[in-house]
Amino acid sequence: MKRRKGLAIIAAVATILTVAGCSSSGTTTQSSGSDTANLTFWSWVPGIDKAVDLWNKENPKIRVKLEMTPTGSSGTYAKMYSALKAGKGAPDLAQVEYQELPGFILENGLVDLGPLGMDAQKSKFVDWQLSQSTFNNKVYAVPQASGPMGLYYRADIFDKLGLKPPTTWDEYAADAKTIHDANPSQYISTFPPGNSAWFTSLAWQAGAKWFGLKGDTWSVNIASPETVKVAAYWDKLREAGLIATVPDFANGWYSDLQKGNIVAWPSAQWGGSIISGNAPDTSGKWKVAPMPQWSTAGKFTSANWGGSSVAVLKGTSNAQAAAKFALWLNTNPDSINLLIAGGYGWPATKSALAGSDLDKPDPFLGGQNANKAIFKASDAAINTNWAWIPTTAATYSHLNDGFAAAVAGNGTFVDAVKAAQKATVADMKAKGLKVKAG
Amino acid sequence: MKSTRTRTRIAVLGLLGPFVVLFIFTLVVPIGYALFQSFTATQRSGAYGNGDSSTVFVGFTNYVRALTDPAFVASLGRVLLFAVVQVPIMIVLATVLALMLDAASARGVRFFRSVYFLPYGVPGVVASLLWGFLYTPGLSPIIDISKTFGVQLDFLGSGSILFSIANIVIWQYAGYNMLVIVAQLKSIDADLFEAAAIDGANSWQVITRIKLPLIAPAIVLTTVFTIIGTLQLFGEPLVLRPLSSAITSSYTPNLSAYNQAFTNNNYNLAAAESVILALIACAFSFGFLKLVGRRRSS
Repeated sequence: MKRRKGLAIIAAVATILTVAGCSSSGTTTQSSGSDTANLTFWSWVPGIDKAVDLWNKENPKIRVKLEMTPTGSSGTYAKMYSALKAGKGAPDLAQVEYQELPGFILENGLVDLGPLGMDAQKSKFVDWQLSQSTFNNKVYAVPQASGPMGLYYRADIFDKLGLKPPTTWDEYAADAKTIHDANPSQYISTFPPGNSAWFTSLAWQAGAKWFGLKGDTWSVNIASPETVKVAAYWDKLREAGLIATVPDFANGWYSDLQKGNIVAWPSAQWGGSIISGNAPDTSGKWKVAPMPQWSTAGKFTSANWGGSSVAVLKGTSNAQAAAKFALWLNTNPDSINLLIAGGYGWPATKSALAGSDLDKPDPFLGGQNANKAIFKASDAAINTNWAWIPTTAATYSHLNDGFAAAVAGNGTFVDAVKAAQKATVADMKAKGLKVKAG
Repeated sequence: MKSTRTRTRIAVLGLLGPFVVLFIFTLVVPIGYALFQSFTATQRSGAYGNGDSSTVFVGFTNYVRALTDPAFVASLGRVLLFAVVQVPIMIVLATVLALMLDAASARGVRFFRSVYFLPYGVPGVVASLLWGFLYTPGLSPIIDISKTFGVQLDFLGSGSILFSIANIVIWQYAGYNMLVIVAQLKSIDADLFEAAAIDGANSWQVITRIKLPLIAPAIVLTTVFTIIGTLQLFGEPLVLRPLSSAITSSYTPNLSAYNQAFTNNNYNLAAAESVILALIACAFSFGFLKLVGRRRSS
């Protein structure tokens, strides 16, 4: 009996070691000369199905199957990473936001698109979006859209209180006080403790540069003076009770938008479709103003929030066809118009505004043509040397945790920023990367 | 003689075999792999790893990293606190409900038994979503009604979120635990009640002298299950996270391991955290069983 038990244990251990030793690395095999290529595309951009349908109609030899997924940070990136690690189950094409691209590069998950048609079409894309898709001088994704920021505000409520939309952050704070004093259940906006990507954009606007790469050493400087300035500003508003601290993109916040308890939102150009989709009865009452500035002197600065690209994942059986589709999706004018109709954001191709469906008055904004009046200038005022690191998702987590603690009364937003700096450096080191702080 | 033995052996293999095979492949192998992963790490070179990554054995580094992470240690403390508060409430409630159903003067027993058990039939995620709506200000009738009485209820704030989660867990599982205890109650010999009636015992004495001592094994069982389940708390914080600013990415150890694995791609760290949690759950379960066993034999 004892020997049997021993043999059984040895067999089990052997099985475990064999299974553990089998790590498969995805290899790209190009199948040329097959009749129809079948590609899978994972995305969550609303309205993208119309563009895919158009492609399938015009290109019967390359069929693209779109699978709508939850947004990347809600679990779809996790699915992509798991599929890449497992070596199968990954789609041919994937929607990847800019901040997540370095993470995929670290996991060796993307195909170099240069020789697959990107080199020829590089010049069509806005420079900074192309540079956020470029690693080691190779382009790994097709830029799709970005999110130049502006201030959405309830024009009717501002008019009633005799307020003009704030042009500086000081005016914003003063307006916050006026609004909340007039009606204690109204707040100018919310500071979402779980959406540090939004905070990152505000730090970006203030001139911070969190991440850089020199040679093979990364630099991390999250607790820079500009970032601390932004965090301290929102700390003051929070401590005075002049802003809400509810999570955005959640039912409670949508309800506040519907009822007029939240009256403004510093947001990206795609924010309009979020408001109109979730508070349709407030149509006609909103307008967009330029982002509040930190100083009245100097250049007008704006920032970018969100934005994504389409990438081809390693392990695809037909990278050539996939790249062809990805390039078409994001450069073809018909495709772009369909994507605009879905509210996907600000196109990544140069001079995409004029003559497109973006260049129209919007009834939701009371007839304002915000894209022409506000977002075009905003897009031109984005600091374009911002870069991301391979562990951006973890940095966002640290910031979220710190902000949540501050909202609960433990510490401040400034503390959260400083803690995130420390934790991010540790994250990068733990991944085996060279990093220096500051 | 030999053939009977072989026949018995074949019968045993045939009946137990499928279970053992599934057990090994769905439990033993993944646990073994997780243990293996917890002792290794990935080494990279260059700015982006550049494909030069290798898996190296690093001993207890991942465990040290997990245990020196203040957020993870805080999450362990949090679930222990949660267990200390929630387990007694759950067990007491389940026992009280079971005793009420078993009382001689009980009416509509079958109806109430179904009603108490019904929440267990609601899938965990659906239950959390349901209660999430009831907790969200602006959407919850409870909060609206209490506002008219001047009471400002905040279910999702940092001071109350743990209680809100406990509420969901108790609502879901009290009925299930109650049924386990009811089953044990039904197996008590009716002669004992007759004898008690003859001796002039009132219903309170029947409960404390006969029923409670005899359902002790069922209470022990449900307590062990509840401890194990509570320490693994995961679904409720995960679903409530978008609604509450108080739930962080490492609110419970399980949630922390999940985020480390699937948001940060730190599979090795996640494996170490899972092993630590499993060891703690084992320690508490076996510790509790030993404590109860020693008391009963003394």
